[in-house]
Amino acid sequence: MIVDLQNLTKVFPSRNKKEKEMVTAVSDFTFTIPDGKLVGLLGPSGCGKSTTLYMICGLQKPSSGKIFFGDNDVTQLPPESRGVGLVFQNYALYPHMTVKQNIMFPLQNLKGADKLDKDEMLKRTVEVARIVQIDDLLERKPNELSGGQQQRVAIARALVKMPRVLLLDEPLSNLDARLRLQTREEIRRIQRETGITTVFVTHDQEEAMSISDMIVVMKKGVVQQTGHPQDVYNSPENLFVAKFLGTPPINVFDATVRSGKVYIGDEAVIDVPDVPDQEVIVGIRPEGFIVRPEGRFHCALNGVEVMGRDVSLVMNHPAMNVPVIRAIIDADVTVDPEATEVGFDIKRNKIFLFEKETEARIFFEV
Amino acid sequence: MAETFNTMQEKDMGSVVSRQKVIAVLAKVLVYAFLILMAVIVLFPFYWMINSSLKPLEEYRLPIPTFWPHKLLLSNYVNAFNTAKLGRLFLNTLYVGVVSTLLSLVITILSAFAFARLEFKGKNVLFAGLLATMMIPGELFTITNYMTVTRLNWLNTYTVLIVPFLVSVFYIYLLRQNFLQIPDELYLAAKVDGTSDFKYLCKVMIPLSLPTLISITILKMMGAWNSYIWPRLVANKDPLNNGGHRLITNGLRNAFTQTTGEVNYPEQMAAVALVSAPLFLVFVFLRKYIMKGVSRSGIKG
Amino acid sequence: MGGKNTMVESRRPWMAWVYLAPAILLLLVFTVWPIINTFRMAFLVGYRGLEAVQGKTFPFGFGNFTKVIQFQDFLNCLRNTTLLCVITVPLSTFLALLISVCLNSIKTLQKGLQTIFFLPYVTNSIAIGMVFAAMFNIVGSAHGTSNQIIITAGIVNNIITFFGGEPVNWINSGSTYLANMTVMVIYIVWNALPFKILILLGGLQSVNKQYYDAARVDGTSRRRIFTRITVPLLSPMIAYVVITGFIGGFKEYTSIVGVFGEKMGPANDQGRLNTMVGFIYDALENNHQGRASAAALILFGIILVVTLINLQVSKRRVHY
Repeated sequence: MIVDLQNLTKVFPSRNKKEKEMVTAVSDFTFTIPDGKLVGLLGPSGCGKSTTLYMICGLQKPSSGKIFFGDNDVTQLPPESRGVGLVFQNYALYPHMTVKQNIMFPLQNLKGADKLDKDEMLKRTVEVARIVQIDDLLERKPNELSGGQQQRVAIARALVKMPRVLLLDEPLSNLDARLRLQTREEIRRIQRETGITTVFVTHDQEEAMSISDMIVVMKKGVVQQTGHPQDVYNSPENLFVAKFLGTPPINVFDATVRSGKVYIGDEAVIDVPDVPDQEVIVGIRPEGFIVRPEGRFHCALNGVEVMGRDVSLVMNHPAMNVPVIRAIIDADVTVDPEATEVGFDIKRNKIFLFEKETEARIFFEV
Repeated sequence: MAETFNTMQEKDMGSVVSRQKVIAVLAKVLVYAFLILMAVIVLFPFYWMINSSLKPLEEYRLPIPTFWPHKLLLSNYVNAFNTAKLGRLFLNTLYVGVVSTLLSLVITILSAFAFARLEFKGKNVLFAGLLATMMIPGELFTITNYMTVTRLNWLNTYTVLIVPFLVSVFYIYLLRQNFLQIPDELYLAAKVDGTSDFKYLCKVMIPLSLPTLISITILKMMGAWNSYIWPRLVANKDPLNNGGHRLITNGLRNAFTQTTGEVNYPEQMAAVALVSAPLFLVFVFLRKYIMKGVSRSGIKG
Repeated sequence: MGGKNTMVESRRPWMAWVYLAPAILLLLVFTVWPIINTFRMAFLVGYRGLEAVQGKTFPFGFGNFTKVIQFQDFLNCLRNTTLLCVITVPLSTFLALLISVCLNSIKTLQKGLQTIFFLPYVTNSIAIGMVFAAMFNIVGSAHGTSNQIIITAGIVNNIITFFGGEPVNWINSGSTYLANMTVMVIYIVWNALPFKILILLGGLQSVNKQYYDAARVDGTSRRRIFTRITVPLLSPMIAYVVITGFIGGFKEYTSIVGVFGEKMGPANDQGRLNTMVGFIYDALENNHQGRASAAALILFGIILVVTLINLQVSKRRVHY
């Protein structure tokens, strides 16, 4: 099912009752979710990603704009008529029902021609429980399950009525680190197996990058960039996206472009013949540093951290715009931890220039 | 996997939407109608009490009732106040209420503190025993208590109205729960600083539990105001004019023994309104504490 | 109190008993002794306090109990109490549930209505009982100017006739038992609503809204949401108000005194509406302490059994 979002806007009255202002949660959101893909809505908290999800679901009505499922305009339809499955952040499993009853509950709501008999309901319940691998837990109550198991039950309950679109609200945020890794693979697998168009919301860029076919990065209700996770990472369209994606985060400096060279402090780090002179912001990915004592860029060394296969250098620079500079380098390159300064060359595809005012990307020939 | 919704797509989406809207609006209207009707029923006795109390007897007895007095009359209140000797009853009740509330608070605080903070042998058994007495209906105690206070020669005194009900297991329980919520670290810190238990109780626990204490105070005062059975048993017989100890509810009931037939209802309603007035004031100004106290007791049940 | 008490374990564990002393002393006299004494008196056949003081001894046995349950009066009281309980508890619980669910579903006026519904909690049940008596009263005759007797019907009957009904003799001399009970049921339900609404609404407001969102996404009908989600999630609170309702119901007394006065019935049939508690006090005032004790123990037994049954039912029905 292709989900087409056209100019979606959601305006709320302000929570602060004294000010009668309106808050724009989502502004002019246009995006087409391709059929059968897993899409991650990504952004810091309060960026409007959950509101977008709830609008797709139908729990919230857009202030303006339209939502299409395939060729159907579902903008005004209530959630139950849209054929969506929703998994809540805290799962919202009914505590008084067993796993089986929880999963079966949506089926029992079906009316008219869609109505199922008991055997069919049970068959479907067991089937979907098998997909999420909880078929041995059917008689348990939610409070007897671990977080990961509850998560699976919630997904099963969303899947059982064969939704056209599956929606997941922060599906991993209530799980501990180990389970999170495991469960995100699980979500990927379930989505592949069922082929249902799936949208999930997260504030964790790693989570979104690792399993999504596409990501949508949002900030304050406005879409910043969409695309394949790796493409977005490799070519961010603005400083926000560049900063938001990647761990460790990108290193940011104040810089100037003078006669085709990018100067950070006094050093001309790279040549950009096609960029006019201006003040810019420079972002360098941690993996963009190549250690070369006679290189074009030098930073003051604070320390060397060796963590398994990675060696990362923690450094300072007068022009930096972040608390600390981190470079991840090859493990076989040795750096003297006592050294005060390290020299680098910068990989041209790992350094990005942004306009000082708009923070929009300035492209140059790589 | 989308076969289920093929039928859905063929339906006219527009009609689904508009039908849903109509149902939603209709439901809202019904809900409000029901709630407002119930609110009117709840409020009606209060309205009728005030309406009646302001009418002359002749107007009250009109075959077709007036929904607001044609002639506002305050003399009913004066008469009621005098007939039922409400002044004396007010003072009696106020005295009993204030003294028993104060003493009760002291006893409750001390006991709750011991149960919440101090370690001693048999604490849990004792506490369980106290809780168990809450299941027993008060009537079971009254029989013996009546004999006890008779033997102590307490009949028709303030003492008899105050002392037997000073300890409320329920309030001890309520306050202990509140005390237990105060983090241990505060107590440990106080101990490290050399604060005595009693000082800690006064300076830390009591201020932190003030809302509960206020709830208890209000409920206890309301209890005195509304108590009827025990005072009737032990302090009803001595004549009121020479320093009797009768309480307000008994006084009200005694002054207007007749409820049906040829009764001067306006005056009776005026008396009822006067007796209810302090409760309404409490309600208006301290509603939050009452509701909190009642609902907290509800959750702990 | 010691100033150098750095240990958490008190050096003087007996201090706890000092704190507890006033409470324990009073409880011993006014709670523990009465429990023991009530059992003693209940099993001393024909026990009367006055005669006991004069040195009379009473045989041990079940005489008080058998006598009590043979009393027509007692059976009458038992019937009244049970009937009132069985009718008012489910009725008020259902109404309170309905009102709470409605209140919970609205935004405008919610606070105001909530306040109104709580109002009857803060009333004196004797005083407001008198208001109910005035509303249901029928005769209210007066001598007009030409000495003719004017009969007024009371506001409730006025309302009934306004809607085309026949006026009813609710509480006056000659009224029926059914009419009396109807008035009491209305008054008791009116009185019981605020507490129940407070508890149930509090319960509803603490239910996670996402359960309802989840149910909506699944297209659950209003009725199914109510029966399959709201009621089960609210079941602990419902059980609580039902149990306390029954306990309070079996101790019903003052609301009847409020409406009917201490004679506990219409003028021509005094004591018709007497209750268990009323019976105990009557026996006590007549110095039949043995009989009163036996009745009090029976009341205790009934409350205990009903509570246990309620708990048993709720164990099966309360869902978590």
